[in-house]
Amino acid sequence: MAGLELKNIQKTYGKVEVIKGVDLDIEDGEFVVFVGPSGCGKSTLLRMIAGLEDITGGELYIGDKLCNDVEPRDRSIAMVFQSYALYPHMTVYDNVGFGLKLAKTPKDVRDQKIREAARILKMEHLLDRKPGQLSGGQRQRVAIGRAIVRQPEVFLFDEPLSNLDAALRVDTRMEIAKLHADLGATMIYVTHDQVEAMTLADKIVVLDAGVVQQVGSPIELYQRPQNRFVAGFIGSPKMNFVEVAVEAIGPDAITVGSKDVASLRVPAATAGISVGDTLTLGIRPHDLSPANTGAIVGRVAIVERLGNETIVNIELASGTAWLAVLDGDQALRIGESLALAAEPAKAILFDAAGKALLPTPA
Amino acid sequence: MTAAAAPALKMQRRSLYPGWFYLPAAVVYSVLFLAPTFASLYFSLTRWTLFDATFIGFDNFAQFFREPFLIQGLVNTVIYAVVTSGLKVVIGMALAVMLTSQIMARGYLRSVIFFPVLVSTIGVGMTFTVLMHPTQGMINQALALFGIAGPGWLVDPKLALFSVALVDVWKGVGLATVIYIAGLVAIPKDYYEAARIDGATRLQNFIYVTLPLSRPATATVITLSFIGGLRTFDLIWAMTKGGPGFASDTVASVIYKQYQAGFYGLSTAGNVVLFILIAVLVVPLTMFLNRKQGHE
Repeated sequence: MAGLELKNIQKTYGKVEVIKGVDLDIEDGEFVVFVGPSGCGKSTLLRMIAGLEDITGGELYIGDKLCNDVEPRDRSIAMVFQSYALYPHMTVYDNVGFGLKLAKTPKDVRDQKIREAARILKMEHLLDRKPGQLSGGQRQRVAIGRAIVRQPEVFLFDEPLSNLDAALRVDTRMEIAKLHADLGATMIYVTHDQVEAMTLADKIVVLDAGVVQQVGSPIELYQRPQNRFVAGFIGSPKMNFVEVAVEAIGPDAITVGSKDVASLRVPAATAGISVGDTLTLGIRPHDLSPANTGAIVGRVAIVERLGNETIVNIELASGTAWLAVLDGDQALRIGESLALAAEPAKAILFDAAGKALLPTPA
Repeated sequence: MTAAAAPALKMQRRSLYPGWFYLPAAVVYSVLFLAPTFASLYFSLTRWTLFDATFIGFDNFAQFFREPFLIQGLVNTVIYAVVTSGLKVVIGMALAVMLTSQIMARGYLRSVIFFPVLVSTIGVGMTFTVLMHPTQGMINQALALFGIAGPGWLVDPKLALFSVALVDVWKGVGLATVIYIAGLVAIPKDYYEAARIDGATRLQNFIYVTLPLSRPATATVITLSFIGGLRTFDLIWAMTKGGPGFASDTVASVIYKQYQAGFYGLSTAGNVVLFILIAVLVVPLTMFLNRKQGHE
């Protein structure tokens, strides 16, 4: 088993910089998820770790071995592709055993490993079939089986669930989590779906425009995002943002207000902030609750009643659209005015550059 | 038909376009293909001139198979078809692999290889006849520079057929290459990347990924060039006229000679024989090549 170390990893295509100096430590046995919007460089970073893309600058260590120029097969990695990349002319058995065959593993050993992988993935009955005869979920299993038989130290997953339907995605997600628990191998997983990231990861790496925005545990990223991008990307539905002006600066807190938000005293780092500055206030939809004296007042635009909760789309005085997730079934009428209270301790302020003014943890 | 099956059938038959849309194509096809085919089936059973025809049953066929050089023509035709289609598959695939990899002047080389396809077959035949002249031809003169005594390409009875086949390959391999290039670029890159992670060498990539996944292209190339080889006439006629003697005669050239001699019924019967020969060889071949393989 092995951890990974990325030191100032860079990737450029001609003059276009795709990965702009990534530093990252991945512990042995950790489940790390690279998450970010399309084009953020997460797949490129994974492919550089796999050895499918050259590393333009920086150093990549797998275990203690510098791997910049090591061939993919010698990196002790296995990769599951988004398309699964199963050979259509080979049976499941041959697909799973392909790497072992190339490595000239003796036939009986190969057979034993293929059957063991099939047992782990509960696909013994599929071994004689060809990929064209399998469902999406079954193909996914075969692709994972092909990775397992190689007994790699690091598993790489490139958006493995994106071709599955919603229900199957949830099941397969849980199976991958279970596989990680059983095998204890290091896994690196790329996705654009923050729910997958939150549910699977020990550690999430949020990327945007080739730069690591934040690295941390899912809860850390949710509760203490370091910037507006992370705050907006992690959490579903998205965090609400609105511009506010600084009204007063107290010890370890800033009082802000605007025509959308009556004075709200938010715990925050105050260094460099002065009265009159414009900041961005971020509040998660789940942290809002109806209250007659609430600081935030808006007009109900859309109501989605799910039974256990109600998602309300409200329009603030400035025209900004906010979402609120309210407990239980709320009978709200479109067009009526709704006052919402926010728990100040859960609100986050961002400076003009988008950096979060997080209070020092208690 | 049961009452329940009727609506289902009706659903299946519903087409996007009105039925009479197919009439123009049907008329053209009937006049230019169906009518001549059936007419030649009939005329093969007659002794005919432009003005009259006398029904004589299978006499033409009987006479055709009594032709002393017909059997050699049949054997030559099959040899020619096998040699040309085999070489086109091997060389076409090799060129396509080269022309889809990262090499210099790729676009230029692709046009160069396709160019002979565009040239007139008769022109190619005449040019190579000159090039292959035993003493004054450029090929043997070039070989002589290295001290090699070149063979009599078109005058040696053992070699003539194969010389023409080589020229056919030179002229036709461009088409095979283009078909293979289309097949190769359609293979998803993921397969090669997965193989690379599994540690495949270039040769293993070719054997386990490229070769099996380009099978549709191989089937097309074999079918096209095999049929082309069986019906070959123009190149043979331009280069050897079936000679020396009857050494490079094919079914088509035998038929043509009989037509030239005024045996219209006999040559029509020969065409029917060629038609049946192609059908008997090609139908099972394409069925074998296109057999289902669990592809998606």
